[in-house]
Amino acid sequence: MKDKFSPKSTPGEVKYSDLSAYDKALVEKAVRNGYSRRDVMKLMAVTGVSLAAAQNLLSTGSEAIAQTPKKGGSVRMASNLHGPDDQLDPPLFTSTIDYTRGRATYNSLVQHANDLTPQPELAETIEPNADATEWTLKLRKGVEWHDGTPFTADDVIYSMNRHMGEDSTSVIKSVLESIQEWKKVDSHEVKAVLNTPNADLPTLLGLFQTKIVKNGTTGDGIGTGPFTMESFEPGVKSVHKRNENYWREGANLDAIEITAITDEVARVNALIAGDMQMVTQIDPKAFRQVESAENVTLLSTPAALQMGICVLKNTEPGSNDDFVKGMQYIQDRERIVKKILKGKGSVGNDTPISSAHGPDFCSELPQREFDLDKAKFHFEKSGVKSAELFVAPVTSGVPDMCLLAQANAAKIGFDLQLKKVPTDGYWGAVWMNEPLNVVTWNMRPTAQSQMAIQFGPGAAWNDTYWNNERMGELLSSVLGELDPAKRHAMMCEMQTLIHEGSGMVIPAFSNINDGIANNVMGMPTVPLGQLGGNEWPEFIWLA
Amino acid sequence: MTEEIIKTKEEEVIAKLDTFDELPDAPPKRRIKLSWVGKLSVAVVAFWLLIVVIGPYIAPFHEMDMDGDDSFLNAHSNEYGTFFLGTDYLGRDTLSRIMFGARNTIGISLLATLFAYLMGITLGILAAVKGGWIDMGISRINDAILALPTIMLGLIVIAALGSSIPILIGTAAVIYATSVFRIARALGQDIMVQDFVEAAKARGEGVWWIIKSEVLPNAAMPLATDFGLRLVFVVLFISSLSFLGLGVQPPASDWGSMVRENLQGLTYGSYAAIWPALAIATFTIAINLIVDDISAKSGGMLAKKMV
Amino acid sequence: MMMQMVLRRIGIGFATLIVVSIIVFLATSILPGDVAQIILGQSATPETLAALRAELGMDQPGYVRYFSWLGDMMSGDLGISKAGGATIASLIGGRLGNTMMMAGWVALISIPISIALGLWAAMHPGTWLDRIVTFGTLSLISVPEFFIATILVLILAVQLHWLPSTAYMTGEESFLELMRALAMPLITLVIVVSAQMIRMTRAGILNVMNSPYIEMAILKGVPRGRIILRHAFFNAIGPIINVIALNLAYLVSGVVIVETIFAYPGLAKLMIDGVQTRDLPLVQACAMIFCGTYVILILLADVGSIVSNPRLRNPK
Repeated sequence: MKDKFSPKSTPGEVKYSDLSAYDKALVEKAVRNGYSRRDVMKLMAVTGVSLAAAQNLLSTGSEAIAQTPKKGGSVRMASNLHGPDDQLDPPLFTSTIDYTRGRATYNSLVQHANDLTPQPELAETIEPNADATEWTLKLRKGVEWHDGTPFTADDVIYSMNRHMGEDSTSVIKSVLESIQEWKKVDSHEVKAVLNTPNADLPTLLGLFQTKIVKNGTTGDGIGTGPFTMESFEPGVKSVHKRNENYWREGANLDAIEITAITDEVARVNALIAGDMQMVTQIDPKAFRQVESAENVTLLSTPAALQMGICVLKNTEPGSNDDFVKGMQYIQDRERIVKKILKGKGSVGNDTPISSAHGPDFCSELPQREFDLDKAKFHFEKSGVKSAELFVAPVTSGVPDMCLLAQANAAKIGFDLQLKKVPTDGYWGAVWMNEPLNVVTWNMRPTAQSQMAIQFGPGAAWNDTYWNNERMGELLSSVLGELDPAKRHAMMCEMQTLIHEGSGMVIPAFSNINDGIANNVMGMPTVPLGQLGGNEWPEFIWLA
Repeated sequence: MTEEIIKTKEEEVIAKLDTFDELPDAPPKRRIKLSWVGKLSVAVVAFWLLIVVIGPYIAPFHEMDMDGDDSFLNAHSNEYGTFFLGTDYLGRDTLSRIMFGARNTIGISLLATLFAYLMGITLGILAAVKGGWIDMGISRINDAILALPTIMLGLIVIAALGSSIPILIGTAAVIYATSVFRIARALGQDIMVQDFVEAAKARGEGVWWIIKSEVLPNAAMPLATDFGLRLVFVVLFISSLSFLGLGVQPPASDWGSMVRENLQGLTYGSYAAIWPALAIATFTIAINLIVDDISAKSGGMLAKKMV
Repeated sequence: MMMQMVLRRIGIGFATLIVVSIIVFLATSILPGDVAQIILGQSATPETLAALRAELGMDQPGYVRYFSWLGDMMSGDLGISKAGGATIASLIGGRLGNTMMMAGWVALISIPISIALGLWAAMHPGTWLDRIVTFGTLSLISVPEFFIATILVLILAVQLHWLPSTAYMTGEESFLELMRALAMPLITLVIVVSAQMIRMTRAGILNVMNSPYIEMAILKGVPRGRIILRHAFFNAIGPIINVIALNLAYLVSGVVIVETIFAYPGLAKLMIDGVQTRDLPLVQACAMIFCGTYVILILLADVGSIVSNPRLRNPK
């Protein structure tokens, strides 16, 4: 059967290196998108490639793409948002453009690998005591700040203390609440003393906002990172040059320029026209345009980027469980993934955990299906005849998902009104305030932190106001559970609780969709943010 | 209802024209006779006004139905019906959405322009007749609003109050009332110093009588020619709000938003953005051509009114 | 007499500026959310909000902030951006230059084109050429700007690769490179404002053509071209100058769509960003610049019309 398509070619004969430049580009695209052999066959139908040959192409192609990085060159990256509030001060980072500049300029204590395991960065080792209440961090020696002064424990203590205390304005203050104190042991060793055991501390130390700044500074662009800051104009652009004195191997690129193009159509056009080499946030409407352009690649990374509708449990109509069920059953999940996300996403089961979270995802939890009869039944039982859902374009696809829900609700006589509001002011005035609103969350590195942040009883961002005691118990006990089977059982119980009881409607997860020029190589695939979790500056190179 | 407004407006214009002709320094009597371009334009405008009224009843689909085979397809049929102008980015029927959208685009701009006129003329003539501090106060506020970028004012009001249709109409009305105010005030001041008004004053007529019988009839014609242009500006203003993600509430849509949300389709040969753009263009061009025609035939005072 | 009039206009301009500052202050204070909430966004908690508000000096009542801002403004201190912490002078500085550069180039190209085409159309009214100009300009002002801009990008940048799709400036380019970088927004804006100005020039001249003294000249057999150039144009110049002034004001303050699509760092986009981040001092500063520009341009236009019009020059 395998030779049916091209009887004359012996399996394994076609090599990547033999291909024309155009076919090479096709294979490269296939390798990057994780296509199967069948996809490659379809892609190269003209050339008539067999299944085995396709396999061979894929592997030789991957090798070719993974060849040794070249030094030199520069790239321009365009994010989707920027403004006068662009920051160089890590505790106040809130957007992709901040994270990227932070990644280029500073270092963290810990770095996330593609599979989300924490890797040492400025900390060489991180050792917990027996009950994970005290962690000792040995810091890397010989690291220098861009101004030539040495990096020491004082810088770490200073930087980390900025996330703590009364007058801290750090964005992640509440995430790091479990840290009671940072103690200096010697010039290159510090201790974190926790008030509750937390096995996930290393993961938290790799968050975008935990970049280490120089003692006494508030993020003025002096870091230890792979690039030095040449210029920075908030809301315009920044230019970064390679740090020749970097403590690791060092960046491949000579320079990077970071800007933003807020208009989504213009952003994609700039990528295809070759004015930008990397752009973030490609809208599903533009997938076909990017995929059919020869010079660029659509990077679609599966991530638990939730497209959620919060139904507040502490007020009408969400306090009525049947209303929530009705909202969950009117979601045509398959269609959202297929038609709205154009296949670049996955179906959600009204929990924040997706298969991207690995073994902690509860695959045995039965999938809630699109069922208008059930929806009608629950809406009727709840006695609610209409509701108003506040919609902002918090992430691409969310407004369209709500339009689909509205059309489905209309079919069973339920009046779901949509109230479109702008994104600015949304998080302060609408989210966690209006009875029905939309939400998105960047994927957190662990399933536990993902659930704790949104569903921990009394958590600052419990955005459906669903407080479940059992949930609270499980969230803290799972951190100490080392047996994989028991841990999975606990994870599953939590996801079932959320699925059954909370006010959260999560019909789908979107992939992270970015675009890069075909000659950009070595892209990381960390699913925590745009463009490989914003980890790219140090690693990419130009072919 | 909107049709009636237009009709009465037209009658009013013609009626005022006749009175205008009776005045001492009036131009030689002319009836409004439209050229063939003007007639065609009237037909186009009438067509769109008809769609405003009956569009939602004759549209093959509801504006929210996502029944197309896929997004950004050109004309095709499936088990649900025929998509004569193809589908938009969510697989909705473009033709039906244009028919539904006419009500928003034309309705909002017509009402907003009418309110802008009501407000602008009332305040403008009040300022001209009363003068002094009232004139000073209204004029400064008016200048301030005029000096600020319209899109920024729209953004602030809609971000603060939400984007419902009444708020869109109100916002556009206030913003464009400022230009009407300037015209009305200037015309009012011109007329107030004319001999026949002086005579009326001398006769001891009240302010209201002067406005009603002398000022309004004389200001009517220039203001009417300005009406069409103002209407076009409102249509474009609503479209530019859609650029910032504001505008009418979904699933309803205005033509500007339809252009905006389907722009990406252009790159794969979808006409989903072209059709609503054509709808906007035909409507606004037709209105402008009528205005051109009328003002060309009635002494061409267009330019003065624009400023 | 004329001096007095100009002084009066300047006084009115100042009054308008004050009203603008109050309107902007009141309008931004009814917006949902404040700058602290916007900065912290989804990650805000009551404690961090309180801490940030205290740090930004926002725990004072509104009128105190307004008057302290007004005082600073009078002494030339534009203040510090609440959102990013940069000084507003530094945020505005470069962008003001960019905006003025763009407005200048657009004006330089579009004013001669508009007057020439407008005159030409007015010289041949009712001909096919006139109809093409009329219909073409009408079509261009009748479709949304973002539609024109996107179509131009798709054709000139994405398909033909003639021009860059964004106005990305490195700050080190030569004059020619700079022109290339600016070409797309420039072309778009020239199209948008020329369409308006051509229409107004043509209408203004045709309007004057109806006046008795021109009819007299026509009856005397003076060639139409000469009538327009020698007589009609100078009498129509007042309204034309006014239209140009309004379009220039628009180029300074109203080109947010073009700035967004071409990622051009100008003032209009900065002000919209300021509104969206509730950065009051920034919005105020931009509003003052826009309003000031408007007042000055209108003043110049008024003076221009007075100078060009003998009847206004010597009022009875």
